[in-house]
Amino acid sequence: MARIAILQIPGVNCEYETARVLETVGLEPRIVRSNEPASVLGEFDAYVLPGGFAFQDRIRAGAVAAKLPAVERIAAESERGKPVLGICNGAQVLVEAGLVPGIRSGRVEMALAPNRAPRRQGYLCRWVRIRVEDGPGRKIWCSALPAGEIVPLPMAHGEGRFETADPEVRSSIQRDGLALFRYVDASGQPASRYPDDPNGALFQAAAITNRSGNVLAIMPHPERASWLKQVPLEWPGVWGERRRGSVGSYEALEGSGPGRFLFESLARSLGVVRAAEASR
Amino acid sequence: MSAVLLTQFKISDLSAWTALETGRRLLAPGLALHRVVREDLYLFEPGSGAAPDAFEGPLRHAIESSNFFVNPNKERYRFLTASGRGDSLEAPEGAWGILARTRDDTQDDGLRARLLREHPIEGLGAIRRGHLWWLWTEGPEGGPAVEECYERIGPVTGTRRGLLVNPHAEADLRIEGSVPWQTVERFLAGAAPALRSAA
Repeated sequence: MARIAILQIPGVNCEYETARVLETVGLEPRIVRSNEPASVLGEFDAYVLPGGFAFQDRIRAGAVAAKLPAVERIAAESERGKPVLGICNGAQVLVEAGLVPGIRSGRVEMALAPNRAPRRQGYLCRWVRIRVEDGPGRKIWCSALPAGEIVPLPMAHGEGRFETADPEVRSSIQRDGLALFRYVDASGQPASRYPDDPNGALFQAAAITNRSGNVLAIMPHPERASWLKQVPLEWPGVWGERRRGSVGSYEALEGSGPGRFLFESLARSLGVVRAAEASR
Repeated sequence: MSAVLLTQFKISDLSAWTALETGRRLLAPGLALHRVVREDLYLFEPGSGAAPDAFEGPLRHAIESSNFFVNPNKERYRFLTASGRGDSLEAPEGAWGILARTRDDTQDDGLRARLLREHPIEGLGAIRRGHLWWLWTEGPEGGPAVEECYERIGPVTGTRRGLLVNPHAEADLRIEGSVPWQTVERFLAGAAPALRSAA
């Protein structure tokens, strides 16, 4: 069975729900405190940096956590090809640590800047739609995603705008397909305005990978959309219809939600095929 | 010519404390970080056609008589009028500083709208924002070793390099000794300078 370390940094708050969905797809998660000896992390097959507010987002979201020995160790393990997933605050840590986009090793090449939306400032919490693009991350993170699917996910962040001031990095993200997920409108076209585009991110990016595709920084929360019961009743489209159709059926409500594909794909990439498929 | 408000915590500032603890771990042997103070900087520009000092009286009253900018239980402030601010922004004794701003427009229209809703102030133009990190550092020779410390805990360039500013979202201006207010105004009002090569 593949073992997954969920890094528990002071201030994160999504580690338990992340562990639950990892278990559901047949993986073996363990919550690892960030002050455990970093060598412990070498025993795992993949890593998740969960959402929350590591070190209360002091100085800047992810800035302090990015300097932890545990994150340095995870960076080293990622260079061996092990998958690393950062969700929301975890994505901010990966960007501040230079793992994403990781074009030049050891360099910080991006920021997750404050959201930019008309007449709105600060934290924003709502459901959005994302769509997968071609890129090196597809194999690890999207093998369980039906082709062409528009995925509704909840987002909850104040600093989620992928941005770089380096033109070469910008070019590479586009040329190499590193923006694995983009915010889209209801028809699946790239989001052109708020609220489809919730934060003004570069290339409407909801998630960016490194060039190898094994490190993924995603701002929306797939772990909060991994059961059908988590989809809002009023959500339009296919997932909303499924959700409304499940009312009164405990079994249906406990079924797979739109975000679970990410964890199922991870499980498949680690060879846990049967369990992942059985969980659907 | 703009009026300036500088605010800082008088209770323990956990962000400055975190910067102190984290910054110390990033410094090379022989370098020391003794103290960190964080200040928010607000620049108040006169509105079109208004005299520079037209709004300063009502603004001072708003600052002193309400909690809009400053909660006196936990913060202290310096309000500097355009005519009374002096020529330069001076670093505190023994310190040097990093003034950071967003790479976006520094105007805070939302703050201005809320201020004018609560405190009608005529003649007030844009409010621009930045924040200051004041640092008390020391190198092996006894001086502040600004260059080395700036490289270690200033703008982030690598995993172990930089802390206080992410240059992909922010620009920064180093404050050593004193910097003319005109330079500060240009830095905050103009477009953010291009990313410095960190190679």
